Amino acid sequence: MISFLAQMLEYWPQVLSGLGNTLLLAAVISVTGLVGGVVVFYLAISGGPLRRRLTEGYISFFIGTPLIVLLFLMYYGLPQWGPKLTPFTVAVIGFTLNVAAYNARYLMTAFRGLDPDELQAARAQGFSDMQVFQLVILPQVMRLSVPALTNQVILNLKDSSIAFLIQYAEFFAQMQDLAIRSFRFLDAYLVAGAVYLALVSVVVVAARWLERRYVLPGVRRAR
Amino acid sequence: MTLLSVQDLKLEYDGRTILDGVSFDLAQGELKVIMGPSGSGKSTLLRCLNRLTMPNGGRVVFEGRDVLGPDVDERALRQRIGFVFQNFALYRHLTALQNVTLALRHLRRMPAAEADERALRQLARMDMQAHAHKYPAQLSGGQKQRVAIARALAMDPAVLFFDEPTSALDPLMSREVVNILHQLRDERVSMLCVTHDLYLARAAGGRVMFLDQGRIHAEGEVDELFGPNADPRIRAFFHQELQQAQAAQPISPAQPISPAQPMDGAQPVDPSGPAGSPER
Repeated sequence: MISFLAQMLEYWPQVLSGLGNTLLLAAVISVTGLVGGVVVFYLAISGGPLRRRLTEGYISFFIGTPLIVLLFLMYYGLPQWGPKLTPFTVAVIGFTLNVAAYNARYLMTAFRGLDPDELQAARAQGFSDMQVFQLVILPQVMRLSVPALTNQVILNLKDSSIAFLIQYAEFFAQMQDLAIRSFRFLDAYLVAGAVYLALVSVVVVAARWLERRYVLPGVRRAR
Repeated sequence: MTLLSVQDLKLEYDGRTILDGVSFDLAQGELKVIMGPSGSGKSTLLRCLNRLTMPNGGRVVFEGRDVLGPDVDERALRQRIGFVFQNFALYRHLTALQNVTLALRHLRRMPAAEADERALRQLARMDMQAHAHKYPAQLSGGQKQRVAIARALAMDPAVLFFDEPTSALDPLMSREVVNILHQLRDERVSMLCVTHDLYLARAAGGRVMFLDQGRIHAEGEVDELFGPNADPRIRAFFHQELQQAQAAQPISPAQPISPAQPMDGAQPVDPSGPAGSPER
């Protein structure tokens, strides 16, 4: 193992750039997935029955389809008649569509736990529908969903490794490369696992802090 | 001067008649109570007056303007009407103070300092300034309702609507609300209060309308309305409510309310008390 780590140091720039790509992809899709999730959630609860059905269909479709199919479709399938996108672009688009669906589902679940009287009170005060959404609905569902949303960030970090399969040079791809060059497969995968665990631990600590910071007063005890 | 005039208000929903030609007036500074059994359309009636529900027919004139017309500024109308709900409906992610300032900040575009000052004044009026930084979950039912009333008053509404303000409260906390109704009546705040709580209707001391099956059957002082010469329908309701009230709380509706009833051990709302206030 020690000798493998020494070898890793030799390839340090490569490993480091892989790590950077992993963090970049995870960070970008966490943000776009959250924004997308909020947009889908807004569309789902604010429109008529048709819009509700369309957004529900969107959510069900992307939750029900393996992400790898979508990524391969865009990366290997699309160039047959359309543009050839970079691996990073394909990964961002694919993950965003997928993560937004999950996040929207979490927000919808939290929304069902809100007090309908509160929303009516806000309308009775003269707030517009958009204001009710921004000032009353969103702050509450976001807080209620902190555990689910941060869990999704952890999933994003781990799942970003499948972008390896569409030639995105992320951390796991680099470790794989290292493993092949050094023939130290066991060591390489063990180190890769340990690094993912360390990264996830950082997110977990941040998530716990967020949960404590943004807990909805009185809600946790009531449940 | 008439503040609110309702004429022949009708609402049908799912083929069922909810309101069947309701008419009444509310004068400036008046407190009127609408009583009736559950399902009589009381709460729906209030919601028709600020367009939370659109009625099928009739006329509502508020501050000289037609409320039900096609190009009414709904949001401006609602800002003129303070609405107090049965379940308080406080925003639970906000403190008491933030609950009161939310509309001032985002509808009146008031700077934070000014909104806070104004909200604290309203909370003080409700004897809630000491709890300004607590969240709804940390307040008792009566305290929550007082914050809700402060929230409604902060926007300087022309009228306050109360929708069953005591039905989620125990008798002691109901008294807090009654004390506040008295205080506001003495300040000549126009109020419309919907309730099936006889104790509240009687203690509030306004004129009472009896609503049943979407119609107003009688209007008058509590004692004449529910007296021995009353309509049999009203007597039946009265009887039933009285029995329920006595089963639920050891307070007779006839018992006068002590004006200096302390609220949660705090200062009484109005030292002179409702009983000491002049009749208007």
